[in-house]
Amino acid sequence: MSESDVGKGEAKEMISCQEALEKVYEYLDGELGSPDQEKVREHVKICRQCYPLFDFERAFLDFVREKGFADEASDELLERVQAIVRDSG
Amino acid sequence: MTAPDEQRTREFESEALPHLDALYGLGLRLTGGDESAAQDLVQETMLRAYRAWDSFELGSNCRSWLMTILRNTFINDYRKRKNRPASVDYDEIAERPVFMDAKTTDPEGKFFSRLIDREVITAIEGLPIDFRIPLVLADVEGLGYQDIADLFELPVGTVKSRLFRARRRLQRVLYEYAIEMGYIR
Repeated sequence: MSESDVGKGEAKEMISCQEALEKVYEYLDGELGSPDQEKVREHVKICRQCYPLFDFERAFLDFVREKGFADEASDELLERVQAIVRDSG
Repeated sequence: MTAPDEQRTREFESEALPHLDALYGLGLRLTGGDESAAQDLVQETMLRAYRAWDSFELGSNCRSWLMTILRNTFINDYRKRKNRPASVDYDEIAERPVFMDAKTTDPEGKFFSRLIDREVITAIEGLPIDFRIPLVLADVEGLGYQDIADLFELPVGTVKSRLFRARRRLQRVLYEYAIEMGYIR
């Protein structure tokens, strides 16, 4: 957004890049209530600086969600748990 | 064992035991990759689950029921350890978004997909405990901020700030690793 846009119409409601940046995860998590969620959305929609950053952060979160969980096998653990069940039963 | 006990045991074994590997995975993430602590945690979880088996409604989501027991068991224990030294020097945490460094070479974060699962898991497990737990609960388990705050009896603002720092720290670790491995230049 150029300086000449400031104060014109809807643009005057724009939050700063700094504010948007501080709320990036809350926004992507859907944890910002109304009207903050809309304010950030409006900013990101217009701001060429923030838009790619938000996309990057979204890709990062999707990635962590996809990769962060992995099953882990342990034969020893299975034996321990089976023994507990039988002993308790 | 009496006949009803045998049936109860069989039921438990067929419904609950298949989730053992998933529980152990979550246990490892929460304990920071401590195999012995994670095994104890899963064992305690299974013992509690077995004792409470009559309250489990067959046909409902057993995995999610077990995960909740594991989470609660872990957090009760975590909260009991009151004299823990501060595990994180908050001032030392770099919060600069990786995007600022990657935007010229990899603005879409394609390097993330080049990392193998084990590298990501190791990075998560290597986070300081106060950062790791909110991140695991939010990003691995999908809990909301308020749920995490309730579990820890912490203000939601604290959870928010720890989660923010945890994610920034994780992406920094992964980014540096990706550079080291030549996944990104």
